[in-house]
Amino acid sequence: MLTKLSTYHHTELSEALLKGTVEMTLGCFSMRIKATDPTLLDFLYDAYRDVPTNLELSDVTDISLKVHAPNILRRYIRRQVIADPGFIVPAAPLPPRLSPLALEMGLNLSVALKCCRFTTFHSAVVAKEKGAILISAHSGGGKSTLASALMNDGYRLFSDEFGLMDMSDASLWAHPRPVSLKGQSIDIVKEFTGAEWITKTLTGTPKGDIAYRRVRPSDIEESSTPAFAKLILFPTFIEGASPHARELAKAESLMKLIPSSTNYHLLGEAAFKGLLKLVKGARAYEIVYGSTEDSMQMVRDLASGAGL
Amino acid sequence: MTLKWLKIISAESPMPKSIAERANLIDFADAHHVLGQMAVAWAGKAKGKMKDVLENGLLRTEFDHRMLQFEMDRLERSLEGTGVQPVLLKGAAYVACGTKAGEGRRVSDIDVLVCENELAKVEECLINTGWAFDLGVDNDYDLYYYRKYMHELPPLRHNKRRTIIDVHHSLLPRTSRMKIRTDLMLKASISIEGRALRVLQPIDMFIHSAVHSFADGSFDTPARSILELHYLLQHLNVSEINKLIPRAEEVGGIKATATALWALSTLYQDETAASLFRQYGLKPVSSLVRYALTQKINNVESATFAKFLLFTRSHFLRMPLHLLLLHLGRKFMRRALKLIKKADPQES
Repeated sequence: MLTKLSTYHHTELSEALLKGTVEMTLGCFSMRIKATDPTLLDFLYDAYRDVPTNLELSDVTDISLKVHAPNILRRYIRRQVIADPGFIVPAAPLPPRLSPLALEMGLNLSVALKCCRFTTFHSAVVAKEKGAILISAHSGGGKSTLASALMNDGYRLFSDEFGLMDMSDASLWAHPRPVSLKGQSIDIVKEFTGAEWITKTLTGTPKGDIAYRRVRPSDIEESSTPAFAKLILFPTFIEGASPHARELAKAESLMKLIPSSTNYHLLGEAAFKGLLKLVKGARAYEIVYGSTEDSMQMVRDLASGAGL
Repeated sequence: MTLKWLKIISAESPMPKSIAERANLIDFADAHHVLGQMAVAWAGKAKGKMKDVLENGLLRTEFDHRMLQFEMDRLERSLEGTGVQPVLLKGAAYVACGTKAGEGRRVSDIDVLVCENELAKVEECLINTGWAFDLGVDNDYDLYYYRKYMHELPPLRHNKRRTIIDVHHSLLPRTSRMKIRTDLMLKASISIEGRALRVLQPIDMFIHSAVHSFADGSFDTPARSILELHYLLQHLNVSEINKLIPRAEEVGGIKATATALWALSTLYQDETAASLFRQYGLKPVSSLVRYALTQKINNVESATFAKFLLFTRSHFLRMPLHLLLLHLGRKFMRRALKLIKKADPQES
């Protein structure tokens, strides 16, 4: 049942990709992928090598994603690809060499807009036995770098992109896809994890250079165990700033989490009640930092203060 | 291929054995906006990931229904004191009166029907309470076009909540080849308990749904339309079923109703529809159109010819050729002028 993607031969994986029967399971979500481009095959071996994968579907999946040409013309002439998660995506077509980006974007949109069994926050989540840290920030706010650093500090990765909250008890669930690193953060993370954990860099994407930190087998093995948030962080990176933290009142952190959710308004009262439990169970801080070392020291202190 | 899925979506047939087919079925149900209806039909019977996926579909429609309740309240409030009681149509009506066709159904726009002589009043009230003509149509020609030829006001969007309401004064465009006695249907409408809103009586609901699917538009949501007709027919009691065909004749919707019954009996194997169809010896649309309808639902991806045919037919039904050509000509000119403006740097 649990066969790692890397154990499959190129030909069999590529055939299953064409048929659309590649099934990968990571924590609470399973994904079914269909794709025509060989670039994607290389990327899957690179970024998803340890992920449990089937080449025949074992069940229906939460997410069903196709990566293909936007039309017949673009399949052959000046080739392009788009992500097709089953609904219309407002994104420009990409050249085939950037199909990994289309895949990641398509998967993210599927989680954000389709998987409404969970209240979804745009945030990173990591956890230890005693509880989880939820890091809520805009793209480029340092979520992924901070989550990566915490992984090296003994935390397991839940996700660098989504906080997934069960509305009945506010438990957080894991969906540990590769951590996306942009620009300078690629080198920063490479330095403390070692280059062997980082995928090949995609250059010249609409968001600059992008590389992914592979998820560790240990993150995947424990990915069906949820955790409760003990600490909520709202980081802001300011070049050269001295580190500084301000504790937030429950209502304040609630009001900051709501706009970061992709489906709070869709879910209504159930999401509100879950969110109340989430903020009640955790201490919340706004932090400002100027370097990863600064932020790590501060986060370690706040984590131990929150009982982690 | 997809035809036999309809009965699986309504849980009248068992889940396919093949997992790959189940996966394709879910993608189909999601893309055709019937995942929520499937979730309701399979409640308590689905297992594993299927249960999770259906739950996603259901949660989405629950949002739609809450939105709808809220909008109905606002609509009542907007018209308070005018004495106007709009008739809810389609999805909004099914949800509001709690009929099977509304369970798990997606609702996005709200369609309502009022008497033509109440139209100006309703428009004024809605505009005074925050609705405005949607940006896409907020130009002189489009506004004129809607008022002169269409069966509804231009779509009104609420400026804060972004919801859309379509106010109809007739069930088909003024220029439509088929004439429907909207007045008779309005007269027979029934009020929703505890609300200042109304719905069509059950047989008229079926007739209107048939008209909407087969005498207007190009059968764009085939799966949803068939399921809707099936549930609406199922909801009728014996005396209503006996009145259906005479009523369809009376209001001028017999062709569409005959086609709907044909579609239900051949595409969905609906027994009630089949026996009505035989009993009255009904005549549906031409075999070419029937072929296109079947193709459109059975080969969703590849039915290019069927889609083209139904698209052309929908325009043919909607207005006489000379009007259509004039309309398309104006739209084309407008687009051309826009392009010229864009290309000319001095203009910008």
